Amino acid sequence: MLKIIIPTIMLIPTTTMCKPTQLWYTTLIHSMLISLLSLQLFYPSLQPIMNFSNHNLQQNQTSTPLIILSCWLTPLMILASQNHLSTEPLSRKRTFIITTIILQMLLIMTFSTTDLIMFFVLFEATLIPTLMMITRWGNQMERLNAGTYFLFYTLMGSLPLLVALLSLYSNTNSLSILTMQLSPTMLKNTWTNSMWLLAALTAFMIKMPLYGLHLWLPKAHVEAPIAGSMILAAILLKLGGYGIIRIMSTTNFLSKTPYYPFMILALWGIIMTSLICLRQTDLKSLIAYSPVSHMGLVTAATLTQTEWAYTGAITLMIAHGLTSSLLFCLANTKLRRIHSRTLLLTQNMQLLLPLMGTWWLLASLTNMALPPTINLMGELTIITSLFNWSNTTIIITGLGTLITATYTLHMFSSTQWGELPQHIKIMTPSHTREHLIMTLHILPMMLLMMKPELIWGPLYC
Amino acid sequence: MNPHANMIIMSSLILGPMITITSNHWIMAWVGLEINMLAIIPLIAKQHHPRAIEASIKYFLTQAAASSLLLFSIINNVWNTGQFDITQSTNTMSSTMMTAALTMKLGLAPFHYWLPETLQGTTTMMTLILTTWQKLAPLTLLMMINQSLNTSLLVTLSLLSMMIGGWGGLNQTQLRKIMAFSSIAHLGWMTMILTLSTKLTLLTFYTYITLTTTMLLTIKLLETNKMSTAMTSWTKSPMLNAMMMLNLMSLAGLPPLTGFMPKWLILQELTKNHMTIIATTSAILSLLSLFFYIRIAYYSTITLPPNMTNYSQQWRHKNQQKPYLPLMIITSSMLTPIMPTFMMIM
Repeated sequence: MLKIIIPTIMLIPTTTMCKPTQLWYTTLIHSMLISLLSLQLFYPSLQPIMNFSNHNLQQNQTSTPLIILSCWLTPLMILASQNHLSTEPLSRKRTFIITTIILQMLLIMTFSTTDLIMFFVLFEATLIPTLMMITRWGNQMERLNAGTYFLFYTLMGSLPLLVALLSLYSNTNSLSILTMQLSPTMLKNTWTNSMWLLAALTAFMIKMPLYGLHLWLPKAHVEAPIAGSMILAAILLKLGGYGIIRIMSTTNFLSKTPYYPFMILALWGIIMTSLICLRQTDLKSLIAYSPVSHMGLVTAATLTQTEWAYTGAITLMIAHGLTSSLLFCLANTKLRRIHSRTLLLTQNMQLLLPLMGTWWLLASLTNMALPPTINLMGELTIITSLFNWSNTTIIITGLGTLITATYTLHMFSSTQWGELPQHIKIMTPSHTREHLIMTLHILPMMLLMMKPELIWGPLYC
Repeated sequence: MNPHANMIIMSSLILGPMITITSNHWIMAWVGLEINMLAIIPLIAKQHHPRAIEASIKYFLTQAAASSLLLFSIINNVWNTGQFDITQSTNTMSSTMMTAALTMKLGLAPFHYWLPETLQGTTTMMTLILTTWQKLAPLTLLMMINQSLNTSLLVTLSLLSMMIGGWGGLNQTQLRKIMAFSSIAHLGWMTMILTLSTKLTLLTFYTYITLTTTMLLTIKLLETNKMSTAMTSWTKSPMLNAMMMLNLMSLAGLPPLTGFMPKWLILQELTKNHMTIIATTSAILSLLSLFFYIRIAYYSTITLPPNMTNYSQQWRHKNQQKPYLPLMIITSSMLTPIMPTFMMIM
């Protein structure tokens, strides 16, 4: 594990000391090499050998795909930021890259730690670089408000989480994830235990986000620069999912009533946010609301605590991470050209930028969970496990899938088909760099289609 | 200032808390507090303009009242227990009065009204001394009598302090007043854990001293006293400006910075003693002060050109370099991973 963490930390001095003209591609190539190194973490998933573990940092099949995704995303973030940072002075470019690298390091450690308090500290620590990215390099005045919402929503949930973890520690005297998974405690349905569950889960629910607590998400995603949006959508939301999976594997309530509020909000949120997506005029806002509905599926699944549910949740988290990040990159290419996020200002881009149209098509198809993509595998597994839990959820999840397809198609047709707008005189052709970003997003998705066992989590036999 | 007067005042200022900390006899402790108070009054009023004189008078009146209340409770204690030993003062009424007196000296709610105006009326270095050195003696006395103190009273006072420190600082634009309210809130955290574990009070106090000193020295170097002048501080020293943001987040208690460490340990101690709701409440109340720290960080560090807010350009003087400031900044950001060392040391 250190062979990934130490090169990542060492990338910080590299950034400060390399020549100015070589800044971008040095950091890009080195972070790509680190992500190549991280791919070997898949090895224990294929055979039951634990080579990469010590007492403090371990990975199992839940966290390995997420670590690899965060390592994979850093070069993509560096690639995507090159354009909007080109006018900044050198020291600020370096600061931005260093923020990205610190975020990657914290995320790797968050996903691989074995102690829940260390997980909490690192979970909170990811807030600071993200806050800096959103408020420092965002574009509009609203970014300050977005940063405040982001910080306060997350902290409001995570301070009770700290107290819940500490009370678990005072009861069981150990917060190691490994030992907790071996002895799931049977909890009676007292008020205290319900409050404990509320405190423990709220932080992750806010991060996911759950429907009623999701207001920070559109603000933060829209105001963030492209790298911020990518990392937020792809990984930081999955921190919540990962946390829920860890907590839920260790608690077992005698009666499932405390889970009902979260379940209801999650299921209802799938429909509501998909419908909100249909009504958005802002492209980035549309893409920002779609994680809420996908993560609603993930939340509802993890709350049912069955094997298929966990499998589906992890699969959908990875698949959705790649898809959402891809959609944000596509929206950014459009933003860079017309400097506006309005959906209807660019139509018939298929005529002007045909290859980008291919990427839009692939992104839309994976977003609406076309077979045989991994998005579909995740969603179908989740829908099946929810159907097993309660038959009537099929109405909600089926309707959610339908509306997802609708808004994705609406987004695709608004940008790619239609009448060419008269006011656009100059449309610069796509850069190779942009095509490279899209390819690097789509390639893992296609390859994972071939071998999805890698992201099926620990409960797949 | 006249060098003789300066020497006498400085040495009395240092001597006072030293006498208090090292004494077993109540009267000697009180004497130390009085020497301290008398020494700092002319220092607060050094600038001779009405605001500074008003600040020193406010300071004098509150501290004198607190000292007399303390003397009265000492005499009460002597009358009831028959001896002057600090660690054996177990009379309930006198401990309660001592709590009131010492919290008035510290500036805890509900006796905090003098603190913002006093800190605002004087120079930045005096603010530094008032928030760090002056808290040493009363806090030591509180720690020495902690067994006879009433936990519910202290928890009430500290929750009230956190609330007032949080809500009071929200409307402030002057940085010294913001540091006053931050001092009130941090003292709330310190006194919360006083009866449960004096080790943690001491740890919180040391962390608070480091963070406040770093912040005030940064403010002094950047020559800003208000938020409007803080907006142009990036021109004076860009790196220090960026580090000020880390320092502010550390004051707010964001992991993984140093300021998180005492909060985490205090919450752990409270939870172990089954005071879970109090722990949650105090953790959430710290979010209030987070807001105004983040606001300062926004104005000074995050909204930089070309995304500028309204500001007016200031005179730029030669930077008075403080060579120990980088070390203090590192201390104020990076000590959480070595937390077990601190638990061992205290």
